Amino acid sequence: MPRFLSRRGFLITGAALGGTALIAAVGGVGYLATVDVDGLDGFVDGDRAVLNAFLTIQGDGRVVIQVPRTEMGQGIHTGLAMVVAEELDLPFDDRISVAFPTEPLPAYANWFNVLQQRPEEASGPAVWVGRRVLGLLGFIATGASASTMALWHPMRVAGAAARQMLLAAGSARLGVPAAQLTTADGFVRHEASGRSLFYGELAREAALLPPPDDPVLKPAADWRLIGKSQRRVDLPAKVRGEQVFGMDVVLPDMLHASIRHAPVFGARVSRIANEAEVRAQPGVKDVAVIDGRQVAVVADSWWQAEQAASLLDIAWTQTEAAGVTSAEMSARLKTALGSAEPYENINEGDVEAAIAGSTSPMIDATYEVPFLTHACMEPMNATVLVRQDGSVEAWVPSQSPLGVRTGIGRGTGWAGLEPTSITCNITMNGGAFGRRSDLDVTAQAAFLAARHRGRPVKVIWSREEDIGRGLYRSHAAARLRAALGPDGLPVAYDALVAAQSIIHSVAGRNLPFNPGPDGDSLSVEGLDKLHYTIPNRRVRSQNVPSHMPIGFWRSNGFSFNTFFTESFVDECALAAGADPLAYRRTLLRDSPRHLAVLNRAAELAGWGSPMAQGRGRGIAVEECYRSVIAQVAEVTVAEDGEITVDRVFGAIDVGMVINPDAVIAQMEGGIIFGVTTALMSAITLDGGTVTESNFHDFPVQRMANAPAVEVAIVDSGLPPGGAGEPGIVPVAAAIANAIHAATGRRIRALPLAVTETVGERRTRTVLRSAAT
Amino acid sequence: MVELMVNGTRVSVETDAGKPLLWVLREDLDLLGPKYGCGVAQCGACRVLIDGESTPSCVTPIDSVAGASVVTVEGLVQADGTLSLVQQAWIDEQVPQCGFCQPGFIIAATALLEATPQPTDAQIDEAITNICRCGTYPRIRRAIHRAATMLAER
Repeated sequence: MPRFLSRRGFLITGAALGGTALIAAVGGVGYLATVDVDGLDGFVDGDRAVLNAFLTIQGDGRVVIQVPRTEMGQGIHTGLAMVVAEELDLPFDDRISVAFPTEPLPAYANWFNVLQQRPEEASGPAVWVGRRVLGLLGFIATGASASTMALWHPMRVAGAAARQMLLAAGSARLGVPAAQLTTADGFVRHEASGRSLFYGELAREAALLPPPDDPVLKPAADWRLIGKSQRRVDLPAKVRGEQVFGMDVVLPDMLHASIRHAPVFGARVSRIANEAEVRAQPGVKDVAVIDGRQVAVVADSWWQAEQAASLLDIAWTQTEAAGVTSAEMSARLKTALGSAEPYENINEGDVEAAIAGSTSPMIDATYEVPFLTHACMEPMNATVLVRQDGSVEAWVPSQSPLGVRTGIGRGTGWAGLEPTSITCNITMNGGAFGRRSDLDVTAQAAFLAARHRGRPVKVIWSREEDIGRGLYRSHAAARLRAALGPDGLPVAYDALVAAQSIIHSVAGRNLPFNPGPDGDSLSVEGLDKLHYTIPNRRVRSQNVPSHMPIGFWRSNGFSFNTFFTESFVDECALAAGADPLAYRRTLLRDSPRHLAVLNRAAELAGWGSPMAQGRGRGIAVEECYRSVIAQVAEVTVAEDGEITVDRVFGAIDVGMVINPDAVIAQMEGGIIFGVTTALMSAITLDGGTVTESNFHDFPVQRMANAPAVEVAIVDSGLPPGGAGEPGIVPVAAAIANAIHAATGRRIRALPLAVTETVGERRTRTVLRSAAT
Repeated sequence: MVELMVNGTRVSVETDAGKPLLWVLREDLDLLGPKYGCGVAQCGACRVLIDGESTPSCVTPIDSVAGASVVTVEGLVQADGTLSLVQQAWIDEQVPQCGFCQPGFIIAATALLEATPQPTDAQIDEAITNICRCGTYPRIRRAIHRAATMLAER
């Protein structure tokens, strides 16, 4: 087991850490007195005993577990708190609370996402350097379904270390060897004498002891929490209406701002024709142009700010994008699929020779998906206070404190101010789905706060700005080709995707460096199908730039590529005259983990049992985020084309499971999210502008025709994988394949249906008539 | 000046007559349970009970509720802190994910069960039109049935 580097690391990195320590000294709460690179040493602050970077025990026995990952509904605060409580022998009850730490300690850095090495396995100089650099940068981000993979082991170690420190403190207090002591239910016990000491009594002494060099972890056989469903720690406040989301932050003397963005991305503010009129509206304190690109109205209340903003008459500069339509974007993508020299991501064997040598007809299909937006239920917002001394504090529902810090730097920079310190409070997120990785809203709030020093400014985007002026999932197309051998199985598989580079667009807005647009790994994920045994395989990509800002979007490339590839595998199966499940089983002959998951989903769904006329069943499987997921969708298509997804069955192998009910919830929710994507949602462009503006024209799944969902967890005994994103990944392909089974129609573009309004907040979905 | 009852307490509010009840609750009365999600009565995150009826407060002008009794999600909790049956069912079924929309669902379910103590799935579909982007609908359905059972056993 790798040891946490001790404070010796300070000798190397102390100078660089000085800035962090300064920030912490101003920020206050919980910074470790001994600056350790990984922050495992403790200190005492009044009644609070900080045992390490992840754990504080109060005198009354209340325990605060610091989880440096954003809770956006996925249940991560509960899962990681369970891991600490497990090692500490703490009851998992309301004495435990979870806080997102305000200090960017190196121990919290998300180096797993960058280095792709599990902490429990990582070793070597590259990891050592990577950890140092990312730790000092304060690279803390929640994404890529990685939080459990990144932190379950370090937080186990933190819990185990704290337990040993409590035992050592108990040993000193009771005058008996630590080996004679046990822990249970938040007490250190000496069985022989019947004496016991409450953690709250021992914590202050324990915190000042040196942490053990190599904490002993509890064997899995003794786990009483891990692997057993626990109630979420955040739900009581959420059902009482007491949960404070970013939008609910209320501070003394606060100002409120509403924003108007350019209808065409990239345009600048040319002139505000009626600024005086807007300034004269009730409660209005300021009308400000942000970075030349947006207009903010600042007022005493958000209602007043939004009312006044709706009166704004803004002239925007013309841009080249002003004529772009979705049809033109589609044509650009199709042209790119004919590109002479796409970027080659994977090339195994000789695809062209295998295709040329095949005697059966080539399967050749082109697929497409539209732009999408996230439409988190909590609209975008950020609250920033710039004090007179230049210190800055922010309250943001964000996936990344580093993003918030960068956003503050940018926003205050626009106002000509350099912060003397930054304190970053990450609030509960009302949904995120990748959207809240971006610094855009924070920068706006920081700029406005710098104009109104001493008063907090809360920026809230209206839903219309969120849907029509926000960030988007790429509009993408792919051409897939396969040559089948005499047995009907592919001898060659060739995938080419055309999409705007996700990483290039995100980095351009958020990072000081940019890896360039070609070969974007996020645009090709889901294309390689490495788990299928295919002798010749090629994956290529072509970046197709547009004026649209592309953001991370739940499951990124998988959200379109798995629709493409798993539809295509069905097309190959049908060409071979094979059952889609049997065909996949053969393709998975060298991938037992995937085969087990596929079989479990098929078994849940009763694959092969007869279905009535107009009904059909479709299946899809994918490996993503170190998990394997398979789903079967059952659909009914009526005479008039109305489609209902009746049931979706899902099986997932996420490796070792910490909180099973949370995994099941992510699968259920992911499936519903995926049904929206498959059948309903699209962002379209006209005159360079997004046409959609709210839930009436950006429909999402509601209760009435949502499918019933059944989920099974397959236990492979592997280390943990990701659970936040896989649930949505196979849904669209499973539904498209089910529609084909029901109707014989292959629909190769999303959304598969057109959403019709049939009453107030009621819709039905009807298959696209343009189907082939 | 508009007078109304909010969560059992008489309040008077001095504000624009056209200001939506949602923003009066959030900005003038510090009741942050009702959420802004769309502003056009599409998503239901802002739902409150107005004289017992589940209503989107984002499109309800404050002057239209003069003299009415308004109950927000906070007002469903009993004085001793006990959750309402619906809120308890929401915990028992572990419904919320991000939870931002859930106050509106809890209000809508409360009104449904008041009118229809043992709703069928079709009645649930008819009554519950809110949006949950996390996709908690299967659990919401189970929680409503659970609350109905708890109600019958009470």
